[in-house]
Amino acid sequence: MLEIKHLVKIYEDGTQALNDINFKVDAGEFLVIIGLSGSGKSTLLRCINRLIEPTEGKIIWDGVDITSLDQNRLRQTRRQIGMIFQHFNLVKRSNVLTNVLSGRLGYVNPMKTLFYQFPSKDRQMAIDALKRVGILDQAYKRADELSGGQQQRVGVARALMQQPRMILADEPVASLDPVLAHNILGYLEKMNQEEGITVLCSLHYLDLVQRYASRVIGLRDGKIVYRGSKEDIVAMTDDQFREIYGEEAIRVSAGFQDKGKG
Amino acid sequence: MALRKIQQKEIKSIVPGPVAGIVSLFVPGLGQVLAGSFQRGFLLLGSLGGSAGLFIWRVHLLAHREINLMAKFLKAFDRRPFFVGLIIACILLLWLWNAWDACRQTKPEKKSGPAIFIIIVVIFFSLGWQISEINPYKMFKELPDAIPPLSRVLWPWEAAVEREKEIIGAGAEILVGCGEGELPPIPEEVPGQPYIMSDPRCGDLSSLDENNQIIRGTTLKLTGRGFAPNTKTQIWWIDSLGNEFRPRQEGQYVEFMTDVKGSFEFDLIMPYRLIPPSAKGPQYQRVEAKQISSIGKLIVGDPLRLTLARMAETIFMGMMASFFGIIFAIPVSFLASRNLMSHSWITMLIYYITRTILNIIRAIEPLIWALIAVVWVGLGPFAGIIALTFHSVAALGKLYSEAIESIDPGPIEAIQATGATRLQTIMYAVVPQMIPPFVSFSIYRWDINVRMSTIIGLVGGGGIGFLLVQYIRLLDYRAAGIAVWFIAITVAILDYVSAEIRQRFV
Ligand SMILES: Nc1ncnc2c1ncn2[C@@H]1O[C@H](COP(=O)(O)OP(=O)(O)O)[C@@H](O)[C@H]1O
Ligand SMILES: [Mg+2]
Repeated sequence: MLEIKHLVKIYEDGTQALNDINFKVDAGEFLVIIGLSGSGKSTLLRCINRLIEPTEGKIIWDGVDITSLDQNRLRQTRRQIGMIFQHFNLVKRSNVLTNVLSGRLGYVNPMKTLFYQFPSKDRQMAIDALKRVGILDQAYKRADELSGGQQQRVGVARALMQQPRMILADEPVASLDPVLAHNILGYLEKMNQEEGITVLCSLHYLDLVQRYASRVIGLRDGKIVYRGSKEDIVAMTDDQFREIYGEEAIRVSAGFQDKGKG
Repeated sequence: MALRKIQQKEIKSIVPGPVAGIVSLFVPGLGQVLAGSFQRGFLLLGSLGGSAGLFIWRVHLLAHREINLMAKFLKAFDRRPFFVGLIIACILLLWLWNAWDACRQTKPEKKSGPAIFIIIVVIFFSLGWQISEINPYKMFKELPDAIPPLSRVLWPWEAAVEREKEIIGAGAEILVGCGEGELPPIPEEVPGQPYIMSDPRCGDLSSLDENNQIIRGTTLKLTGRGFAPNTKTQIWWIDSLGNEFRPRQEGQYVEFMTDVKGSFEFDLIMPYRLIPPSAKGPQYQRVEAKQISSIGKLIVGDPLRLTLARMAETIFMGMMASFFGIIFAIPVSFLASRNLMSHSWITMLIYYITRTILNIIRAIEPLIWALIAVVWVGLGPFAGIIALTFHSVAALGKLYSEAIESIDPGPIEAIQATGATRLQTIMYAVVPQMIPPFVSFSIYRWDINVRMSTIIGLVGGGGIGFLLVQYIRLLDYRAAGIAVWFIAITVAILDYVSAEIRQRFV
């Protein structure tokens, strides 16, 4: 479904963030990307929907190279790929419903939406999405009045609105506490298992990786240094994890780990 | 932190302590510099040199007639013993301390005493006191004289309303030069109306001889009836061209009281008036008696009426200037935003040029812009609007561009990722972030502009300030007080309203 070939990203200041990245993702996978801060995870995820323009390489999506698309076709591709961010990236001053509705922007008539008007079936869909993530009662609050966990659920709902075939999640739980981390990843897992949405997700904690990943790639200095199946990961010790991940690697906490696994 | 680091970076002294001390006695601070404490040395040199220079200047002003320096000092000391003595003592103390400090700085553990800063502050405070002519004694001494005008400013409302004036009067014709023509008729008396009669009905005007000595004219015996009793009555003279004036007699305007029956008799010397050479035929002039009484209905007085009109002008000046300021500042702010202009060197160049121009415009006060605008478009509110608009564009351009620079790129990224178009991204991710600062800064600017427009009239820029200076120059403190009150009221209301609006939006 998605194939990354020889992907290279060199920033304008000369930083080589990605160096010859190759991997394949099958439909329905929950692929977790691990790596130290600065290893290129965000850059990689953003290259896939070209929020960042790759310097070299191909990104094959359904047999078409995303890097060669024009603006129009790019937008049509982007709307099939939901994205969730570490800092939620909500429009803070807009209300929750508007934030969720903005997930439909790729589908609706651009002129109508300029005045914040959406078709009623999209509004219904937004309400359903909010119900699904359990924050329907917050629909008319300003986004920045919500707690971190609630904001990320708005982020998930916004991605859901795209009716995506794939979700890119850039450290979606790094700014949340452990209980909320499981809550958010639980939604992603549910979408992955029940609707077959492919998930590409970067994560920080070994226990979360073990709990949710169906496959793992490890990045270091813009290169893939580790590829592992679910079994490899579950068998992995903290020391091995630390080798890829460096000293930052920690489990969320022993107490929550059991809860997560159960 | 940073300070401590500098001090830790020890630079070895190149001279022994006593030498540094002696050197500093001759050139203050030099010893410290030799000992490796550069900042300290320059600071001491600056403060000692500066304070000594300023002190000598003040002494010179106090005793500018004396020629030699010593005499100047003695004279100055004589006039202001406390000031001169204090400064000399402080400077001496600072100087000696500076020598001792230089000696001390050569040792490894360098100490800095806060005490010396107190001496420096004392010196500059006393100099500042003297130079800016601060004089609290004068404040108290002149307070009694200032209370009447001040109280008029503080409570000006007596001038806010006045009564309509009613004038009753009557006149009689006078022939200039008896025999030059026919005598004017004796005025007819209508019962119930005031009446005046002159005897004789002709005569000579006062005139000047070769030595500019006045030659008295004919004395007219004026008889009046039917006026308001016991009321001040003025005499007016109207020449053949219709010019009215009040004649004086013994330096005073001619004025008297009517008796209980409303009658009077008065001897009027015909006033001095040149007959224009072109005048032909007999010259008839007129004498009138007038009673002006304020007994009509209450009306809004001139000061209040003018103040209200000017206040409206002021508020609209501020509003229009803000309006133009906002309109021009929006495009300018895009040019002055680093994040929008950083993709090529040409745009960067535009960015720097725009920023520089904005900074220069902003550095010049609106009052000075108003002086320039008055030269350009003349006195009046338009000049004020131009001045305020200039300043607003510069101030808002900077504020807006900073708001643009500080928008969070996260939401933009998120909206783009949904497949939104560029326009949708602006509407959904950029505009919501821009509205609060734009509204807030614009309201704030409107607030400032109305405040500024209340004083921009001082330099001819229209609005209430213009009226206020006029009243002050005419010593009309009540009228000035009304203007001041309205400025205060308007500014207070504005303060409240703008705070409310900003709270709603931000
Ligand atoms: N806009 C940018 N310009 C220049 N260098 C960047 C930029 N964004 C990221 N980098 C650099 O690219 C490397 C990878 O960054 P990133 O993808 O954010 O890593 P991660 O998400 O794994 O922490 C880092 O060295 C980072 O400093
Ligand atoms: Mg990152």
